Amino acid sequence: MNECIRLEYDVDGENFASAGHASESVKRTLKQMGVSSLSVRRVAIAMYEGEINMVIHAHGGRAVAEIYPDHIDIRLEDHGPGIADISLAMQAGYSTATENIRSLGFGAGMGLPNMKKYSDDMQIESTVGEGTTVKLRVDFEE
Amino acid sequence: MTVAEFVARSGYTVFSEGEEREIESGYCGDFLSNIISRATDSCAWLTVMNNVNVAAVATLIDCACIVLCENVAPDDALAARAKQLGLWVLGAKENVFEAAKTVAKLCNV
Ligand SMILES: Nc1ncnc2c1ncn2[C@@H]1O[C@H](COP(=O)(O)OP(=O)(O)OP(=O)(O)O)[C@@H](O)[C@H]1O
Ligand SMILES: [Mg+2]
Repeated sequence: MNECIRLEYDVDGENFASAGHASESVKRTLKQMGVSSLSVRRVAIAMYEGEINMVIHAHGGRAVAEIYPDHIDIRLEDHGPGIADISLAMQAGYSTATENIRSLGFGAGMGLPNMKKYSDDMQIESTVGEGTTVKLRVDFEE
Repeated sequence: MTVAEFVARSGYTVFSEGEEREIESGYCGDFLSNIISRATDSCAWLTVMNNVNVAAVATLIDCACIVLCENVAPDDALAARAKQLGLWVLGAKENVFEAAKTVAKLCNV
């Protein structure tokens, strides 16, 4: 039962243009495996938001997806500045995004709430000055 | 109304073409995470954002078309990505409010 497909990605923190590459690849894989479009959409959104956060807040990081027959586990790990107050960061509308980042359309403070909404389980571990790890689980619907 | 019919009726610029599909609703916004959370399927998405992240978000929400308002054109990276993904990207001279009225009127949404 430990059979799973494991996908790993380097998420480039310098390149805003290629942001979304990891979630795009996972989405394609799930589609090919015949996972329902609703589940694929939930995974793609939750992972995209996490991936973008690593790019805009943490200079990039690493994304690992483990696909099981009935769910996916996603781990997004960075060595950025960390999050001092996770419950504050989780609040809709809270954002520390700079003007520059806002001009690209990020910074509504909706990314973490979206990740929560579109996943079945979400855990954030973060240490200021060391980095952040977000774990997401999405169960596939029947 | 399909996107192609909408283009013909509105006279909007076509920056990139996609497959034939119906416009069933509309959504206006520039903050990508808000759009991801609130836009409805097969909407016309009206925005003034023109960078490449728009393509990723359009794919996530599965909108019928992107309408860049206020004479905004896609930047080179967005234009290239939209072509590659087969996304409809239209351009309107109108501001977002006026463009929304046009979508609402022509598409009856
Ligand atoms: N990986 C991360 N490293 C450091 N800080 C983070 C990270 N992810 C989120 N944060 C912090 O949490 C805040 C809220 O994140 P959230 O994704 O909800 O909003 P945002 O990224 O600022 O805007 P949006 O996601 O709407 O574009 C961020 O502004 C940032 O301060
Ligand atoms: Mg975010």
